[in-house]
Amino acid sequence: MPETKHISRLRKIVGKENILTSKEDLSAYSYDGSTIWTHMPDVVVLPTTTEQVSLIMKVANENGVPVTPRGGGTNVSGGSIPIRGGIVLCTTRMNKILEINRQDLTAKVEPGLILNDFNMALAEEGLFYPPDPQSFMGCTIGGNINENSGGPRCLKYGVTKHYVLGLEVVLPDGYVMNLGGLTPKNRTGYDLSMLFTGSEGTLGIITKIILRLVPLPPASKTMMAVFDTIDAAADVVPHALERGILPSKVEFVDNFAIRKAEEATHMGLSTDAKVLLLAEVDGSPASVEAEALQMEEILRRCGAREIKVAQDATEADKFWGIRRIGVGAVFGAGRTILLEDVSVPRSRLAEYVQKIDSISDKYDVFIQVIGHAADGGLHPAVVTDIEDKDHFERSKKAAAELFESALSVGGVLTGEHGIGLEKQAFLRKAMDGRAIEIMKKIKAALDPNNILNPGKIWEDDGRDDG
Amino acid sequence: MKCGFCASACPVYQVEKVESSLARGRNMMVRGLLAGDLAYTKRYAERLNKCTLCMTCTANCPAKSNIPNVTVAARADQAEAMGVGFPYNVIYRYLIPRRKLFGNVVRLASWFQGIFMPKTEGTIRHLSLFLSALGKGRHIPEIAPRFLRQRVPVVNRPPEGMPIEMRVGYFTGCMTDFVFPDKGEKIIRFLNKQGVEVVVPLEQGCCGAPVFLGAGDFMTGRELADANVKAFEGFDYVICDCATCGSALKDYAKFLGNTADRKGAYGGLGSKIKDISEFCVDVLKLPASKYKASSEVKGKKVTWHDPCHLNRYMGVTAQPRQILRSISDVEYVEMPDAGSCCGMAGTFSMKFYELSKQIADKKAKSIEATGADIVVTDCPGCEIQLIDATRRNGLPVKVMRIMDLLA
Repeated sequence: MPETKHISRLRKIVGKENILTSKEDLSAYSYDGSTIWTHMPDVVVLPTTTEQVSLIMKVANENGVPVTPRGGGTNVSGGSIPIRGGIVLCTTRMNKILEINRQDLTAKVEPGLILNDFNMALAEEGLFYPPDPQSFMGCTIGGNINENSGGPRCLKYGVTKHYVLGLEVVLPDGYVMNLGGLTPKNRTGYDLSMLFTGSEGTLGIITKIILRLVPLPPASKTMMAVFDTIDAAADVVPHALERGILPSKVEFVDNFAIRKAEEATHMGLSTDAKVLLLAEVDGSPASVEAEALQMEEILRRCGAREIKVAQDATEADKFWGIRRIGVGAVFGAGRTILLEDVSVPRSRLAEYVQKIDSISDKYDVFIQVIGHAADGGLHPAVVTDIEDKDHFERSKKAAAELFESALSVGGVLTGEHGIGLEKQAFLRKAMDGRAIEIMKKIKAALDPNNILNPGKIWEDDGRDDG
Repeated sequence: MKCGFCASACPVYQVEKVESSLARGRNMMVRGLLAGDLAYTKRYAERLNKCTLCMTCTANCPAKSNIPNVTVAARADQAEAMGVGFPYNVIYRYLIPRRKLFGNVVRLASWFQGIFMPKTEGTIRHLSLFLSALGKGRHIPEIAPRFLRQRVPVVNRPPEGMPIEMRVGYFTGCMTDFVFPDKGEKIIRFLNKQGVEVVVPLEQGCCGAPVFLGAGDFMTGRELADANVKAFEGFDYVICDCATCGSALKDYAKFLGNTADRKGAYGGLGSKIKDISEFCVDVLKLPASKYKASSEVKGKKVTWHDPCHLNRYMGVTAQPRQILRSISDVEYVEMPDAGSCCGMAGTFSMKFYELSKQIADKKAKSIEATGADIVVTDCPGCEIQLIDATRRNGLPVKVMRIMDLLA
């Protein structure tokens, strides 16, 4: 708990326009995109420079005040909730693009830059930053680094970590450290940039980011297909890969999403279909034409009941709208949503989706499924109500079984959301105990006073929180 | 739902980058109040008021949560619990519901502006009296020497010998009545030429938008709504040339319908409301040849700014574009983010003028990018904001309402 004198020091550091202390303001920093936890911070600071971040960390470190870093607050694992109170360090006012280098295909940006704003600016230069968490309209690059976010483009383009070349990080004691550099190859010592990438705000505050870019693909084509079985739909990606086609995205939505999208758009979707697949190929105009034709044939051979190819960008956007509506509809379907992000090997996808069905039956809870067919990432969403005790308990059990089943088919606990608060209880099952110990030692080495985002990733076992 | 997608296009968040100004943050704050964790404080009021109600958050919300509704409802609760502050209480409760008296005060203001205020540029002057206190030095058009209601009769018939095809009510709104009577007359004449009889009932009053949407004063809002329902009984259509008025009239039932009778009556009026562009395109179905450019705009490049109330509230986006594309001798060009809020939002711009200007500056950039000579819109609020924004940014761009372009 910061004392009044600490708050006045913080006010001096960032200026009175960049600090929030009223309860009304603090309540707006008590949550993230998840639906279960909230906790009020004691103060919110919105620094505008690295120097300010460094000074804030010094005050916090000297006085043992917890600091929870936050970007757009769109994360869905509880990671940016100030669960121990203290300071929320929000980077949204450090949102400049410092440099876009067309020759080197790199960009240097501040952490609070919104992903979509970044890609809009890059598009003007014919450039592209592929990692695409679906919160791109609100999430920040700093948050993406901390969560090592990914999205539909994972199969062809990878996730955030594949684009991080260098970082400027403020350590918990206020020291400003530079890591990595401007080159795509760099073998200088341990790759500590990767340590901070995916660290969920527990090791340092990222204040500058050097990213690798790629040329913007000049053409793309989107198509959709409906299937009667998940097995048939799951066959599509392996077939495409066999033929040497690397689609930029292949996503699937379930019957619930299809029905909701049809209700909202009246675009003539088959509301009795089990699965709808959305696929995109991108590249040069000639290769896109050729690959789109091949994809159509693959979809047909895999048993698609109906195939539609978008004629232009507007229609493509309409198709992708089905997925957006599907995600939104599940949030409208219940008060509390346990949105998971297990990832399974692509070859086990159909098997896993069937497991989800049986878990849903077993606990008598509704589980919607949207997923990345291309990379095996899945978002089963258990629809429940935290106020309905019995239902909520059953839902939690169902979620636990979703994790266990994913692990049993060789999958992972979280593909892109991170552990945060949400999956702490399952970490021990998913990670070697020795590895967890090493993580804790790294944390203790960098943050001996445990002030940075305390209470996250591993459960409080009475030892790790000092 | 707390996904935070509302951040992407919220005009206030884009400038301030503070979560408590965002739909998600405001929703949480209101929940905090309902749960008893927060109280009615100055800060609470400020956060509640710091919203243009532009509806972009809802448009971007996967669950389509209507946070602007929550905001208006919370303003109503606050107004009931804490009252409406000065000078708004005097204006809303006393002046606005008394159309004639309000007109006289505005008239008084116009005399004073003539005596004390130098003409700034063209038709632009600074308003005096209480309006100038609210206007904070903004470039505002002068108040007309004669109001629309004094310039035209109640019943305006098509020219001699032309059969009357249709009879409509015209809700003029305060701005067209007091500030832009020429535009009102032009609309009446245009519709007359299409065989439409236009009735301007004198009993009509303020639409109530600043009163019930802005200040949350639902009680006075109902008084205004009841009067307008009565004034427009017996028409199939009621046309508006102010998007804010149009959407406020359409939304009476949603916000103010506290009894079954009111709900029915308000719903009835709401279903008759048509924006002038919507009326010409969807009801009259005028052919392109009817839209002839006035000599002033011939050969010019024009662009369109979507008023929030027209776009996201009334769902009218294609009709004005169709009209603009139909006018021969005029080149239409779409501006980037045509649907983003200009930051006017009535009392919002008075309470947060600096913020309102920063939002408008983004709009000015979009306008500049088109290279247009004229930016067209169909809401006097947007019009004033765009005049102010283009002048402050030194853009050689004229601001016009859609019907101004026609011969």
